[in-house]
Amino acid sequence: MATASAAVRRDWLVGYTMVAPVVLGSLAFVVLPLGMVVWYSLHEWNVLANTFTFVGAENYQRMASDPGLADALAATVWFSIGLVVVNIALALLLAVLLNQKLPGTTTFRTFFFSPVVVSLVAWTIVWSFLLQADGGINGFLEQAGVQGPNWLRHPTTAMIAVIIVQVFKNVGLNMILFLAALQGVPEELQEAARLDGAGAWRRFRSITLPLISPTILLVSIITIVGSLEVFAQIDVLTGGGPGNSTTVLVYYLYQQAFRFNEFGYASALAVLLFVIVLVLTLLQWQSRKRWVFHEV
Amino acid sequence: MSALHPRTRRTAGTAAVLGTALALTACAGGTDAPVGEPETPSEPVDLRMTVWTADETQLGLFQSIADAYVADNPELVSSVTFETIPFEDYTTALTTQLAGGNAPDLAWIFESNAPEFVASGALVDLRPVLEGTEGYAYDDLVPSALSLWQDGEGLYAYPFSNSPFAMFVNTDQIEAAGQPNPVDLVADGRWTFDAARDIAAATAADSGKQGLVVRDFDYQAWENLATVWSGWKAAPWSADGTQCTFTEPEMVDAMTWFHDAVFTDGALPTPGTTADFFAGDAAMTITQISRASSLDDSFHWDIVPMPEGPAGKQNVVGQAGVGVFAAGEHPDVAADFLAYFTNAENAEQLAAYFPPPRQSLLNGDSLAAANPKLTADQLEAVVVEGVEDAVTKPAHKNFAKLSETVRAELDALWVEDADVEAVLADTCSAITPLLED
Amino acid sequence: MKSDVKADTTSDVLSVAGRGAPAEPPGAPGDGVTRDGETGGAAPRRRGLGARARGRLTRWLLVLVLAVLSVPFVFPTWWMATSSLKPMSEILRRVPTIWPQDPSLEAYGRVFTLQPFAQQYWNSLYIAVLVTIGTMLVAAMAGYAFARIRFPGANALFVLVLVGLLVPSEVTIVPLFRIVNSLGLINTHWPLIVIPVLGAPAVLAVFIMRQFFLGLPTELEEAGRIDGLGRWGVFWRIAVPLSRSALGAVAIFTFLKSWNLYLEPVVYLSSKENFTLPQALTQYVDAYGGPMWNVQLAATTLTVLPVLAVFLVAQKQFVQGLAHSGLKG
Repeated sequence: MATASAAVRRDWLVGYTMVAPVVLGSLAFVVLPLGMVVWYSLHEWNVLANTFTFVGAENYQRMASDPGLADALAATVWFSIGLVVVNIALALLLAVLLNQKLPGTTTFRTFFFSPVVVSLVAWTIVWSFLLQADGGINGFLEQAGVQGPNWLRHPTTAMIAVIIVQVFKNVGLNMILFLAALQGVPEELQEAARLDGAGAWRRFRSITLPLISPTILLVSIITIVGSLEVFAQIDVLTGGGPGNSTTVLVYYLYQQAFRFNEFGYASALAVLLFVIVLVLTLLQWQSRKRWVFHEV
Repeated sequence: MSALHPRTRRTAGTAAVLGTALALTACAGGTDAPVGEPETPSEPVDLRMTVWTADETQLGLFQSIADAYVADNPELVSSVTFETIPFEDYTTALTTQLAGGNAPDLAWIFESNAPEFVASGALVDLRPVLEGTEGYAYDDLVPSALSLWQDGEGLYAYPFSNSPFAMFVNTDQIEAAGQPNPVDLVADGRWTFDAARDIAAATAADSGKQGLVVRDFDYQAWENLATVWSGWKAAPWSADGTQCTFTEPEMVDAMTWFHDAVFTDGALPTPGTTADFFAGDAAMTITQISRASSLDDSFHWDIVPMPEGPAGKQNVVGQAGVGVFAAGEHPDVAADFLAYFTNAENAEQLAAYFPPPRQSLLNGDSLAAANPKLTADQLEAVVVEGVEDAVTKPAHKNFAKLSETVRAELDALWVEDADVEAVLADTCSAITPLLED
Repeated sequence: MKSDVKADTTSDVLSVAGRGAPAEPPGAPGDGVTRDGETGGAAPRRRGLGARARGRLTRWLLVLVLAVLSVPFVFPTWWMATSSLKPMSEILRRVPTIWPQDPSLEAYGRVFTLQPFAQQYWNSLYIAVLVTIGTMLVAAMAGYAFARIRFPGANALFVLVLVGLLVPSEVTIVPLFRIVNSLGLINTHWPLIVIPVLGAPAVLAVFIMRQFFLGLPTELEEAGRIDGLGRWGVFWRIAVPLSRSALGAVAIFTFLKSWNLYLEPVVYLSSKENFTLPQALTQYVDAYGGPMWNVQLAATTLTVLPVLAVFLVAQKQFVQGLAHSGLKG
């Protein structure tokens, strides 16, 4: 470093200048607010009563004995796992189908992508109609001779319904990412494998999947992080119920902050949420060496 | 870029983000300014009132009242702004404004939040200002309407809207099913919850649609069941809010009646089934009379008072309040404006949308002028008598948590083979710690 | 027909960006056209007739699968658009009607009379455009520097920036509101423009651009340097033009995010003339706060259809932009 020439130093300066906006922006709009959240989490803060009292780690101790939080964490785990698995599987399936260059591909692609641009409110409301006990879905099942469940009133089906509605809303984006990755897989490799007598499934597993594994990593990170932010859909569809079965962490946090006016405790939950996201991302990033085919 | 107006009432901060950040963590202190005759500020101030209505005619009416106030008091106020926050996000946005040190001067307040807001000290006591305002006629305010918004002697918000719950009936469907018209039953004194249940069940069986819908309940917003259990004189907790009363015999009876009406008689839609009375999907609905505006001419309808329960008839009203924030910049000016906004003359104008808590205005004729869909007789029977000795839906200073906890517990009740007593006992053990908080 | 273009561009861009991709054999694009275009006529020679018929059957079965899968994706949008033509009582019917019994455009007229909807449309549009342009610029610069320039602390700064990817907006909304309020910028569009461009929402864009530049061969840039271009010159004249596809992807992501932003406008904006669309949609309510569904859905349709139309036209560019944005690696 000490020996860096003037030219190299000039290059450094360009580098700092180029990253300056986003670095300063991150400091001001990400790191600083996060720091403030940590600070709030050490206080008991009732916005209405306008009390702001330093309580040390009390909010964190409270977490350990909060049964609501334990339920919320369990719901979050189920929700996130379900969402990521279903989302990625469906996105991959759609992308593979759309990559077959079938007639009508352009139209289908638009169909699958369209919910991404539709307003969340309209989307959730029409699904809440469809998921009623006597709604469109059960009407359809009845035609097929199946007695449909009362989707939003049983813990398991409510969770499934929330996941499915969320997947349909956003799977189009992941589908596009996979589609893009699939189009980057050289045809020649496929062709060579076909000549070697490899079947379609075999080719998919040993050529396509490894080649798009970096995209799978990125998509799963984005989806997991996104799954921890799902709020409005749960609010409209189940309101966190039945019981507490669909009260996920971010919904719980929102309740604490904006319904119960417990900003201090909500801030501590926010810190917990951040740590969870951070750890998950690090784990995924660490594990990439084992299953992601090639490195950047 | 023309839309980037900085807010006129605050000069744009010049301090750099990082510099101000340190100051941000300190909480904005609420000044407990004594409220009385407002002192003339050094320059006229701008007032801001958050509301959840987005209706242009209502906002236009508010603005015209405010403009008249500004014209009368140019030395106090230069403008009043009505800020609409979407209904669904109202509390979130209001709380964020409070947390961010940007409290509005005045705000509409949900009934369910009332005890919490009243007890928190966030609101200014309006009573001295209202009583001290010439010609306000504080005694004209209906005492039962004020009780939710009082703490001791103080009045911390004015209940500008008092909409009684009543029963709308689809007379086409009821007639087709050969059932008696509730209007006749009212006249005979036979209008009871059992009669309503039987008519609803028979009509639903005949029409293939739904019978009786407790609007907005949807097996989530359980506090709306107050319209039913009040007929049993049941309540979720004691008047002082410290004891759970879900396990009292009245409540057990009321809930058993309701459960059986749903699952045995088929008089009400089962969980997960929504039916909109106004779309013609149900024979009857319990809701506030203000919803009459949702009716079109697609079927014949009528409106009757709430039925009698085993303990007689109990009126229930839904309210909304407006209060002045102590943490706002000009609480004394804001309170003075509120006194003007809700004086007898302006209350009469507001009665077009919001039944006022004023005795003098609660008569069929003056309300009929404002409610073209209802006759003076209907209004007299439902509104005027409906406000008398009315109770409000359950409220508590810890209501948000209670509401959530009770909802989760009652989910066990909404199945066919539920053990009503056991579920209500569980509910009590779950909420007792919250009541004691 | 359009698929020919795709096959061409694909191989074309691949050979520029194609890190690790094998050299295109001559005629590969042409091969792509036959695979792509007519399903039956130009099937590869080496397959037998029976296989061809089977192949064709399989393809039509796959199309059928796609059609069935489309239903849950399309129906809600269809319902939304057609319901905007229905009266209120028909919208709320339990069994949704597929087509309005008596279609009427009345709701569309009311969209504009009840609120300054055109102004709100413009607000959303100009905010989204500014945010998109700003994000492209910021992300291209930062992505390039993080990928190409070795300066002390680069890794630490990159990790710092990545934190923004991990913070849900509900977590920071209260402190951000305090910051915006202390700057006197409540009820202005500044927080909706500046925070997305510089804060957490921009991080994904920076990440995408960095990955893209990492995957871009350095030869062209080196040639540029030999021709006497400085860092900035190389960036503007060589790197940015080469990254058009990745920038396209960033643009669409960013535009959609800004266009659909909901919580932030609700919290920051208070006067109707300043509202953005998602917030304005919630304002179509009757005198008692009940939503006027037909008007709300008409307004929603007006906000959705243009974006869908743009996607329909631009989707090929979008997919290819992503395909070569380095997201694959």
